[in-house]
Amino acid sequence: MSRILRDIFSFGDRPLSERIAFVIFIVIVLAFPWTVKLAYARAVMIKFLLFALFGLGWNLIGGYGGQVDLGQAKNVGFGAYATALMMLHWHTPFWLTIIPGMLFATAESFAVAYPMFRLRGHYFAIATLCVALVWKELFVFWEWTGGARGVEIPIQTAPNFTYMQFGSVGYHYFIFGLFMAEFLFMNWFRKSRLGFQLQAVRDNEDAAASLGINVTGTKVKTYCITAALGAVGGSFITAYYLYIDPELVMPLDLSILIAMTVMVGGAGSIWGPIIGAAILIPLDMYLGAWLAGGGRYGIDFMIYAFIIMIIAAREPKGIWGIVERVKKRG
Amino acid sequence: MLLEVHNLVKEFGGVVANADISLQLEQGEIVGLIGPNGAGKTTLFNCIAGYYRPTSGKVLFEGRDITGWPAHRVARIGIARTFQSMKIMPNLTVDENVMIGAFSRTGDRKIAKQEAQDILRLVDLVQEANTYPPELPIATQKKIELARALATKPKFLMLDEVAAGLNPSETKDIIQTLQLIKEVRGLTLFLTEHVMEFIMTISERVIVIAVGRKIAEGIPEEVAREDKVIEAYLGERYAKGR
Repeated sequence: MSRILRDIFSFGDRPLSERIAFVIFIVIVLAFPWTVKLAYARAVMIKFLLFALFGLGWNLIGGYGGQVDLGQAKNVGFGAYATALMMLHWHTPFWLTIIPGMLFATAESFAVAYPMFRLRGHYFAIATLCVALVWKELFVFWEWTGGARGVEIPIQTAPNFTYMQFGSVGYHYFIFGLFMAEFLFMNWFRKSRLGFQLQAVRDNEDAAASLGINVTGTKVKTYCITAALGAVGGSFITAYYLYIDPELVMPLDLSILIAMTVMVGGAGSIWGPIIGAAILIPLDMYLGAWLAGGGRYGIDFMIYAFIIMIIAAREPKGIWGIVERVKKRG
Repeated sequence: MLLEVHNLVKEFGGVVANADISLQLEQGEIVGLIGPNGAGKTTLFNCIAGYYRPTSGKVLFEGRDITGWPAHRVARIGIARTFQSMKIMPNLTVDENVMIGAFSRTGDRKIAKQEAQDILRLVDLVQEANTYPPELPIATQKKIELARALATKPKFLMLDEVAAGLNPSETKDIIQTLQLIKEVRGLTLFLTEHVMEFIMTISERVIVIAVGRKIAEGIPEEVAREDKVIEAYLGERYAKGR
């Protein structure tokens, strides 16, 4: 037990420079609402933390597992809808809606995982994308999920911790708490037996099998955990936006953005998702607002796509890969 | 009997890669499997290790029928292997590669790390422990594969062309390592090889296959003199000409 705790909180295997950088990062995030009063900047910060959270979860299957999953939005949707529907119909407190969302995402992923992992590489990616799109269409057509109109959450008059409704400062610390919990889980995971076995599967499936690793079983387990972690972020979206519809929480764009965050930052590294989200989210929100403000719609997408293409072509290990290479040379 | 193969047949479409092969290995033996290119050596290894499902025939390990078991289950009952074309985890360090082997038996990272260190010491790779395999020479990478296989604590180790591409001094080094681990661990070794000097030095017994069939079996010096074996390697003319 004490060893598990130590694995969760210890970064002893990382260089001192990384540990210092992470402490600075935490201090900045904690101090942010006290120094920055701009509503838009606060919204960007919350969105950054949300996508860092999404990235951490996706990094499991996509980074440590090397399986390009382009369907994470379905799990975000499951989390978001579980929270929204339970709060709306049964007035369930927010905290009790997280687990059902995670469980549903896990169960659904388990059900589709075995046929899906008969596919590899691009074919697997396309399959994940299709499954996610099918779910989105179902949520559009189903009456009981609110259909295309979506679900509106009743607004509380005063700050409320049961339904997690408060001002932007509250949401900031709320998402930061979720982010830290998931980050510490990942810190444990990367040192666990499953973490090592997953990396072995990513690097060479035949060799992994020769060392007693059930290749498909390992992928399925990870795929399910990734799904559960995606659902947590979905639950947050419901509490934060107070309104969800399939186009907001389950679109293809969301799946791709989650995958991109990790790939740009550095797949298979604990820092990668944070770096990726820190670059892509502000870029998206500021560039988009600035260019669209001048009437130049769409240019931000072009710039955005160009950056992603450069990184994908020049540095498959993302920005963290560049950092590590420079450190090795220096 | 540790390993028994009975009338094993493996066909790919119409091509017969292994035709009716039977063989037995005793606990503690070192047995070489030789034959010209395309004879079916690697196919036979893959059938035993669970990478291919035999078309017919049986594989028994310690008397237990393991025919058609998936590779990871075969690995867990004590059969380890290395690969002809090396399969190293390039993004994991040398000691992490070996730890993966130890993780087949324990979930405890401390124990896995300790065992990996012991094995790295045994095969003389301690200095390379924290480097990434692609940075190291071929001979060292072959040793990493060997160390990784040993970390699963196998009873039976299959080595597919472990000396291929090595120079004479590296070959000598790997022979010494294999003899050492056989003594320390009491392993049963089954190896394929093209380098005749290597296989003839290390094997106590050799099995010869050609075009998917077993054509000879016995102690190395005798087998090397058999007409059928010379014919398989050099053609009919040489066999009759002696």
